[in-house]
Amino acid sequence: MKNSWISRKTSRSSFIKSLIGGAVAAFLIPLIDKLPAKSRFRRFLRPPGALPGDAFLDACIGCAQCVNVCPNKCITLYGLEGGIENLATPKISARAQACILCMACTQVCPTGALEKLEPTKEGMRAVNMGVAVLSEDVCYSYAGRTCGVCYRACPLPGEAMTIGLFEQPMVHPEYCIGCGLCEQSCVHMPQAIRVIPRSEWEDRLARARLS
Amino acid sequence: MKATNVLLPLSIVTRLGVVLLLCFFAMMTEYLNYKTAYNNPRLVELASGKSVRVFYEATDAIFDFLGDPIEVAQSNGGMTWSIRVLGVPFTDPVAAISVFAKGGSWTWGFVLGLAVPVSLALIFGRVFCAYVCPASLAFYTMFRIRHVLEKWFLLPDLKLNRGFAWGVLIGGTGAAIWAGHGVWSLILPYFAVGQTLFHGIAMGTLSISLGSIVFFALLDLFFGPQFTCRYVCPTGRLLGFIGRRSLVSVRRDANRCIDQCNTCAEVCPMNVSPKLDQTVDCSLCGACLTMCPSNCLSVGNRGEK
Repeated sequence: MKNSWISRKTSRSSFIKSLIGGAVAAFLIPLIDKLPAKSRFRRFLRPPGALPGDAFLDACIGCAQCVNVCPNKCITLYGLEGGIENLATPKISARAQACILCMACTQVCPTGALEKLEPTKEGMRAVNMGVAVLSEDVCYSYAGRTCGVCYRACPLPGEAMTIGLFEQPMVHPEYCIGCGLCEQSCVHMPQAIRVIPRSEWEDRLARARLS
Repeated sequence: MKATNVLLPLSIVTRLGVVLLLCFFAMMTEYLNYKTAYNNPRLVELASGKSVRVFYEATDAIFDFLGDPIEVAQSNGGMTWSIRVLGVPFTDPVAAISVFAKGGSWTWGFVLGLAVPVSLALIFGRVFCAYVCPASLAFYTMFRIRHVLEKWFLLPDLKLNRGFAWGVLIGGTGAAIWAGHGVWSLILPYFAVGQTLFHGIAMGTLSISLGSIVFFALLDLFFGPQFTCRYVCPTGRLLGFIGRRSLVSVRRDANRCIDQCNTCAEVCPMNVSPKLDQTVDCSLCGACLTMCPSNCLSVGNRGEK
């Protein structure tokens, strides 16, 4: 009994054994990603000002300060539904609650995963969350019933979206910032207009060119 | 009242305060939404019911005192992982290591946030564990429960050495590079507590981190007293390493110390032995000060005897 607390020195070999044991134990955590997942196909947007693609995941530590400050409560945190690489990172589900581009989240981000932007027209134009894609076969306006709700919701009307006859919306992908306000406001169920990540949109463009 | 009797209650009070602060920050998210969307108690009641109106009006009264809610939210917020209190940023050293290893971007606020935790560790040692960490409150409860259970059951007391926590730090950083910084929310107990509170209060969902907390609590209950804090938590190991020659620590008056007594080492939650003048990892929780029968222990400058 007495020796157990007297001998507090650890030998080098047991230290290294424990070191390797700890490292292996920590490396077991990502294996929960290999468990069967419910769905990986649901798309989510990142908050405004997010660095593109993997650069965002490298910088974001998941401290939830952007979620905390969001007055619109549109930013939520990933659980495991987006895989282990997205765990605890912020997401926006535009159909549920779209970003109003108040840029509060970009002001508080500690690691610079969200670049600082101002809630002005210039700040809005610097946002790149995705591209809105319209399904003309679903849209009311293209079926002859004038609607135009998405145009009225757009923060950059006339630039990112214009309307033609019967208020038929037309998205201009080079100016669209992908805030998702059009997707949230769409009165059709399911929505006729939805925001997809810009990378996915470019893939679609390439496929369309091929066909 | 002597310092010996104050430290242990103080550590419990400050940790409870941290938990309340985390809950308050999470509730502020809910309040901000109602404030910007309705800004009217009657509309809040119409939309979400009577109880939410009570919450809204009570928080309104708090913010009458604190100031504009948007401005308060801009300078206060976050979690145990990275938090801003009164505009001062605090960064977890493990977060800094993880971001540095993965090659993420930096901001000045993030680097400056390291100043307070690191200098606290240099001066007081591992005080984060006893006075800030919300998870250690749960683990301390498990420690006391274990004490009661040991009257009737024979519980194992597994011993590891310091290498394991270093290994978790290295392996966790590797896992963060491989799979994303989110793995820390399952490895670090205090991050898991922050996640769970935030998910539960601000978003109304159950977080996967809850599973990690339950796992660590069971580990503490059945494998050894304060097992997680002693052998698993990489932050505690890192802070213990930074503060291994801290200015302030527990001192022993060798003349008054009783030779046969080993009470201080037995009650210590951090596996420190003031009896042998080994105070690396001491979190200044004050458990040994209250239990010492000869009152030979005190907290003070390490050099003086």
